[in-house]
Amino acid sequence: MAKRIAIIEDEAAIRDNYSAAFRREGYAVDAFDAREPALNAFDNRLPDLVVIDINLKDDVEGGFELCRELRARSADLPIIFLTARDSEFDAVSGLRLGADDYLTKDISLPHLMARIAALFRRLDAMKKPQGVASRLSRGDLTIDTERMTVHWQEHTVSLTLTEFWLVHAMARYPGHVKNRQQLMDAAQAVLDDNTITSHIKRIRRKFIGIDSDFDAIETVYGMGYRWLSE
Amino acid sequence: MTLKRQLLLVTLLALLLPWAGCEFIRETESALRGGQQQMLAGTARALANSLAVYAEEYPDRIAGGLAAEQLFLHTLAKPPRIDGYIDDWLLNQSSLRSMRGPDGPIRMALASYGRTVYIYVDVRDRNVVYATADTLVLDDGPLYADRVTLVSSNPPYLEERFVFSAEAPGAIVSYKQDDYGFAPEPAIAAHWQDVPGGYRLEARIPLDMLGTDLGFVISNTDSPDQKPLRISSFSGRAPLPAIRPSAELLSVAQSLVQPGMRILVTDASGWRLTATGSLPITTRNNSFGKGWSRRIYDWLVEAGKTTASAEPDPSGREQQAYVSAALDGREMAAWFRGDDNGLAIVAVAAPIIDNNTEDNDILGALVLQQGTDAILSLTNESLARLINLTLIATLLVAGTLVGYASWLSRRIRHLSVAAVTALETETLHAALPSALAEDEIGDLSRSFSSVLQQLGEYNAYLRTLASKLSHELRTPLAIVTSSLENLEHEALDDASAGYITRAQEGTDRLRRILTAMSEASRVEELMAHAEPESFDFRKVLLSTVDAYRDVYPERRFDFECALTGAPAMGSPELLIQMLDKLVDNAVGFSASDDTIRIGLAKEGDNLLLTVMNPGPSLPERMRAQLFDSMVSMRGGENSRHLGLGLYVAKLIAEGHGGSIAADNVPDGVVFEVRIPGQDSR
Repeated sequence: MAKRIAIIEDEAAIRDNYSAAFRREGYAVDAFDAREPALNAFDNRLPDLVVIDINLKDDVEGGFELCRELRARSADLPIIFLTARDSEFDAVSGLRLGADDYLTKDISLPHLMARIAALFRRLDAMKKPQGVASRLSRGDLTIDTERMTVHWQEHTVSLTLTEFWLVHAMARYPGHVKNRQQLMDAAQAVLDDNTITSHIKRIRRKFIGIDSDFDAIETVYGMGYRWLSE
Repeated sequence: MTLKRQLLLVTLLALLLPWAGCEFIRETESALRGGQQQMLAGTARALANSLAVYAEEYPDRIAGGLAAEQLFLHTLAKPPRIDGYIDDWLLNQSSLRSMRGPDGPIRMALASYGRTVYIYVDVRDRNVVYATADTLVLDDGPLYADRVTLVSSNPPYLEERFVFSAEAPGAIVSYKQDDYGFAPEPAIAAHWQDVPGGYRLEARIPLDMLGTDLGFVISNTDSPDQKPLRISSFSGRAPLPAIRPSAELLSVAQSLVQPGMRILVTDASGWRLTATGSLPITTRNNSFGKGWSRRIYDWLVEAGKTTASAEPDPSGREQQAYVSAALDGREMAAWFRGDDNGLAIVAVAAPIIDNNTEDNDILGALVLQQGTDAILSLTNESLARLINLTLIATLLVAGTLVGYASWLSRRIRHLSVAAVTALETETLHAALPSALAEDEIGDLSRSFSSVLQQLGEYNAYLRTLASKLSHELRTPLAIVTSSLENLEHEALDDASAGYITRAQEGTDRLRRILTAMSEASRVEELMAHAEPESFDFRKVLLSTVDAYRDVYPERRFDFECALTGAPAMGSPELLIQMLDKLVDNAVGFSASDDTIRIGLAKEGDNLLLTVMNPGPSLPERMRAQLFDSMVSMRGGENSRHLGLGLYVAKLIAEGHGGSIAADNVPDGVVFEVRIPGQDSR
């Protein structure tokens, strides 16, 4: 049975374009233009993945509200924020509400598809027993590429999809400097310098939350970042 | 012209004050004087009428200019000695009649004392030729001598001549000569005195010996055998009537004269027949009479002639204009002012008309003079007070106005300086001076404030315009890109695929532009949430400059830093972003193979980062706005730059508590960023 994606977007043209793209990839699509009809529909059945626009017509924070309610109903439902707003504050708010990714609308469709595919793959991997082959260990760091989970000193580090890909790209070849372009490619996104900087900062903060001595991500000023492995 | 000068000019109008005062005084003065003159004129007319009765006392009128040739008998106060000196005549030097002689002026005088006539002749003569027995009287050759002849006649009777010539200086004998012969005249005493360059003759003649008409003839020769040159006091053939003071008129005048008044009576030619009375002499000394105040007074009040010219003319002939007018039949007034004693004289001349003749012949003129000491001294003092007071008032007004103007212009200047400062430093909400004042400057200040405030709001709007615009454009852009991407999956021919590729390139570019446009707001946001960390700016720069060498292989980069470490506090990523902008700018304005020099130094407590590139200078007019949002110095082909780079650099520098500036250096431009260093304790 085809995976069902719900898209809540007030801009009809974008909604239709995205729906068409999702269908082409073989997904079933439920499209809504506001929060209420979406929630009513979800009462009957939850979709497998939700793409939410934060700003829903007059309901300026409607996306956040919707995210909160969905997360309350299901802890592992993949939620992607898609927004015209690119402010850091919005990104932080969205992610704090438990979204799996936060994307601006200028992301290309192939990139969006890659993310959706990845999220579904992770969902599937979670259901299977953990496989050894998909493990990548770098000192205290353990990465499960199937489930897209990261552990540091046996503690789970909860990362968004973009963050996971960035960590994965760096930790795969410790000591190698990954420049911004390489990191962007790895994260399947078009990100500007500031956004990469923010992502790296958030990643560091998450690791430091577990281990206050964490200093495995080094900034090579003017060039990029690298993973240090002792 | 500054406000101060304008008001100073206006202040000059205050000078009208003393002018008006002076005008008032002048009016008063002339009114008072006019009144006095009228009174005096009345008296003069009455006196003239009573003097007209004595018609026979007035000599006949002598036609035209000949009157000047009449001899005037001065009246002597006491009999002089006959010694060749005129000093004891006690006459004014200008009382002497002067004629032109061959060797210089010949001066002579005629006077009477009682029934005796005195004569005095002063002849300039280079070569005095004394008489001999042959030439003592005779003057018809072949030998000659220097001599003085007094011609006397009593028409229609024959002429008589009194001949004075000297065999030697000293007392001489005079000869009386007429058509019948000559004889020595013992009744005449005469003295011939030689002086350097000439001789003087003084003689005494009984009045009865002389006729009514008198004249002098001076014979001058340079040697006994030379025919002498004869100079006469009269131009006609016969002498003219001499003017004798009239005793009759004198006694009448004396009976009419009042104290403080002087009466002069002249004949029809102006020759004085009598003078009596005296004017008061003021002894009071008025300090106002001298210096600048006197000059102001003269300028304000009609100048008038000095009192000296009101005195009887020493020559005996009254020639003042007002007397001449009276002799022409017109009554006329004059006024004379004292030189320095406050005395003034009002004078009126009235014609004396013979009412008994048909033609109302003018017999002569009556001159009546009166001192007007009171009026002038009064006006003098009040004028002095007026001038002083109004000058003080004018100065006070001028001083006050200039002070007021300075205060006004200072307020306006402060306002203007404050407005300019607010504009330059962009503290557009700062309070301007005089904002609470209730006058027009207050209004001006408030309108300035509101203009500046609106400008500030406009600037703020401009600053956010880019990010707002990018945000609004993002959704339609997403529609276009997603549509294009969907379209790619449709079956398309090659041409359509080409169009799609081009459209995608276009949207790609559009997206990059939008990202650049919102960069400033994102940087601001980052700065607001950034957690400052401690870092070594030098190390950061070292690796960054290395990176630039890879990114821009066609430029050379020099990093100059004499410091061993440069601890700083802040966000190194943002500072690098700032450096990126500056380097991008430097690369954009330099040519291939140019060297871009990046330097780091310590400047007091600050770290000074410099980025220097060879290239064109900054245009002067752009300097102030260089770091403003949406301002680009770049010309046409580089129009993709929105002018946000340096604005972002400024945001970052200021976000670190520092500053950024740009300056021209020889052959290039330098950007300087100052950020506070961290104490390396």
